[in-house]
Amino acid sequence: MVQLNVGETILQARNVLKTFGTKGNAHHVLKGIDLRVTRNEFVGIMGPSGSGKTTLLNVLATIDHTTDGTVLIDGADISKLRNTALSAFRRNKLGFIFQDYNLLDTLTVKENILLPISLSKMSKRKAESEFTAIADVLEIKALSHKYPHEISGGQKQRTAAGRALIHQPSIVFADEPTGALDSKSASSLLGVMEKVNQQRGVTVVMVTHDPVASSYCSRVVFLRDGKIYSELYRGDKTRHAFFNEILDVQAVLGGDHVDSF
Amino acid sequence: MLTVFELALRSMRQNVKHYYLYFFALIFSMSLYFVFTSLQHDQAVQNMTHPSVDFSTGFQIAGVMLIVIVGIFTVSANGIFLRRRSREIGLYQLIGLTKGWVARYLMIENILLGLGALFAAIIFGALISRLFVLILLNLLGLEGIVDISFSVPAAFKTLMVYLLIIVITSIQMMLKVYRSTLLNLFQADKRPDLTRPPKAMTSSIFALLGLALIGYGYELSGHINERLFLNSLLVLGSIVAGTYLLFRVTIRWCFYRFRKRKDGHLGLTNSLSMAPLMHHMKANANSLTLITVLSVMAITLISMAYSFYYSVEQETRRDLPYDFMFENEPQEALSFKVELEKEGIDVNHHVAQAVLTMGIILDPNDESRKIEESLLWLPAEQLKQTGADLNVPPDGETILYNAGASLAGDLDEQSKRYPTRIKLEQHGQTVMYTLRTLKERNIMNLNAPGKQMLVSEATMDKIAEQMAGTHGYKKIRFDTFQVPDKEELAIASSLYNAKYVSDERLTYDFYTQYKEVLQTTGLLIFIAAFLGLVFLISTGSILYFKQMTEAEQEKQSFKTLRQLGFDVNMIMKGIIRKQAIVFLLPLSIGMLHSIFAIKAASFMIRSDTTLPASIAMTIYTVIYLVFALFTIGYYRNIVKNAMS
Repeated sequence: MVQLNVGETILQARNVLKTFGTKGNAHHVLKGIDLRVTRNEFVGIMGPSGSGKTTLLNVLATIDHTTDGTVLIDGADISKLRNTALSAFRRNKLGFIFQDYNLLDTLTVKENILLPISLSKMSKRKAESEFTAIADVLEIKALSHKYPHEISGGQKQRTAAGRALIHQPSIVFADEPTGALDSKSASSLLGVMEKVNQQRGVTVVMVTHDPVASSYCSRVVFLRDGKIYSELYRGDKTRHAFFNEILDVQAVLGGDHVDSF
Repeated sequence: MLTVFELALRSMRQNVKHYYLYFFALIFSMSLYFVFTSLQHDQAVQNMTHPSVDFSTGFQIAGVMLIVIVGIFTVSANGIFLRRRSREIGLYQLIGLTKGWVARYLMIENILLGLGALFAAIIFGALISRLFVLILLNLLGLEGIVDISFSVPAAFKTLMVYLLIIVITSIQMMLKVYRSTLLNLFQADKRPDLTRPPKAMTSSIFALLGLALIGYGYELSGHINERLFLNSLLVLGSIVAGTYLLFRVTIRWCFYRFRKRKDGHLGLTNSLSMAPLMHHMKANANSLTLITVLSVMAITLISMAYSFYYSVEQETRRDLPYDFMFENEPQEALSFKVELEKEGIDVNHHVAQAVLTMGIILDPNDESRKIEESLLWLPAEQLKQTGADLNVPPDGETILYNAGASLAGDLDEQSKRYPTRIKLEQHGQTVMYTLRTLKERNIMNLNAPGKQMLVSEATMDKIAEQMAGTHGYKKIRFDTFQVPDKEELAIASSLYNAKYVSDERLTYDFYTQYKEVLQTTGLLIFIAAFLGLVFLISTGSILYFKQMTEAEQEKQSFKTLRQLGFDVNMIMKGIIRKQAIVFLLPLSIGMLHSIFAIKAASFMIRSDTTLPASIAMTIYTVIYLVFALFTIGYYRNIVKNAMS
């Protein structure tokens, strides 16, 4: 069951702590997380509400600062980066997919996807071929000139995925990407993400509460109470077998519904 | 359990930061209305001014214009507020409150806000009316202190304006609540106005039509005074329609072409400027047209008023080159001189001997025109001694001086009649003289008889010899006085007015005339400046509100962009470009319109309006750009805090 985690390290988190609030009323959300993600991995982060999975993602994705501990992405210590450097880092190295798409309503699908490279020195021809390649994989080429309000949720999320991939980031962070989608759109999106992960070698870290979604991952990390509770590697297992394993861990862990009373 | 009333109060407290500029603009214009109506009803200042200055009509017209602008302003601002609160209005209905309840709730809030503005305006107005009177007196060139008491009729009229505003905005609110569906309310800011590509043919036709209409308006404004009323209406109509088409079709068409050519590679800056502008193009077209038209009115009004005020002395000098003039009254002139000297006033006294005859100025373009009129032949050599700036014409030639020429029609058109000939008839014989050209000023005071013809002394003597004894022939002695010192001139003027003015003949002295015109134009600039300020604040505020609302709608976009790794300065670059378009487009088009409007209206002023108009435009631009800076500041705040 345990697979050796070899390969080049993309993300390395050491003893990450995150505390909200002031001294007297401090709320410890992350209580020392150690996590290593290697190139080409598709990591799922699961856990009941309040376990700190979204906080962990925000901290790893440089959207939030750690209280203590270090996070290295591509060898750079992101907790040492400030404002402009941090923005540039996010722009060049990271990709994001949000639960509610966060597309710009005023831009077309193509304009939205090309946005991250708008400030890079990439030539228009290169950008165009890059766009074509990604749009083909995501099956949204035909929607290029449509506006977000004209397309479905699944199409919006695939557009968002395109936006997260266009600049060839070192790592893509996805926060509940299927949260707002129906099951058909969700599995179609996950299939595409799996394909991108395998074909283009994109590293993905995805937070989800949905066992179906995490069954597409190569590894699933379970959080509980601000700590890593356990990990599952998919290995050569079928998606269905992996799904059952995930369910087993979740039963022990206590699912969302158990947690939310 | 909250009552509607309590909810309205609570919502007002929450919305107060969005309302404060609206509140300020409303208070400012309403207190100005209060001050204007107070002045209209006040006798104290009126009694100090020259009776010919129509004080109360001036303020009455200004009051009406204020009501109009306050109306436009509140309707626009209210429309923007309602649009931004669409979701809230929808939510109340979603939780089961009736449309009637929602309308009532909005109206209570509106009435309370308005009441606050009303009381603030009256109190503020009463407090600042004294300051306004001081400014007014200063502009009118009057001295002294006037106490202005609280005017009950003005307060009452202000109350009526308030009620009018409440009625209009309440109707607007009811329409919004009753006429929009829940879906509309929830998607008010999601759905773009115009994303479909404009149809190539119709678009280009309308785009060109917009430009053509503006061009036609400009062309027509060049000869507006031919049929003043009709042409003014035509110019106004074509310019407004053209401007609307320009914003609605032409600019959109250009944007669309540009965006299409980019084929998705829009870039961050354009994504944050052009894209949101196109997203709201329909609403933007309306407000930009409104703002442009209001700006044109304000700029033209201020520029013209300032040009009038600025050129009073110059204009009066054109009519009255001499401070005092006596016509065939040597005794009076002498006694006036003695009196002045007794007062220790420095005075330059000169005598000019002129000749008045009848004659016909021929029109080379119209042979049938043979009107006999009085011609006053003035000797250049003698006038030169008074210090007048003129050249002695060659013998047998003359120059016509007429300060009022441009009032009779287009000067360029008139100058085509010159050079021409003058026919003098003496006892059956005719003599011809050459009329070289026309100059737009007087060389003798306005009240001298006949058309003022400048000739050499020798020519005048010859005419006197030839015409002596004919019908209308007269020798005139002019005694002219110049008082170089301004303060002495004021004393001299009062001496003149005390003794040498009679009802039987026209008498003008420079100083009295100057003061009178100064008071009329001073009143004009006072009214125009404050009206212009209200126009400016209203248009600036409308733009500010609109941008504020858009900034809030775009908050999520900014957050997303920040998360994607665009820093504040990169995003601000796009926002600044958007603000540059939003503010500079109406300003520059408005400026261009105003330049033509001022040119068209400048037939009323003989002096050059370039300098005063440029000063007025510069001040307008500076204040206007302050609003742009405010807006950019507001955006920066939102972008900066987007991540938290």
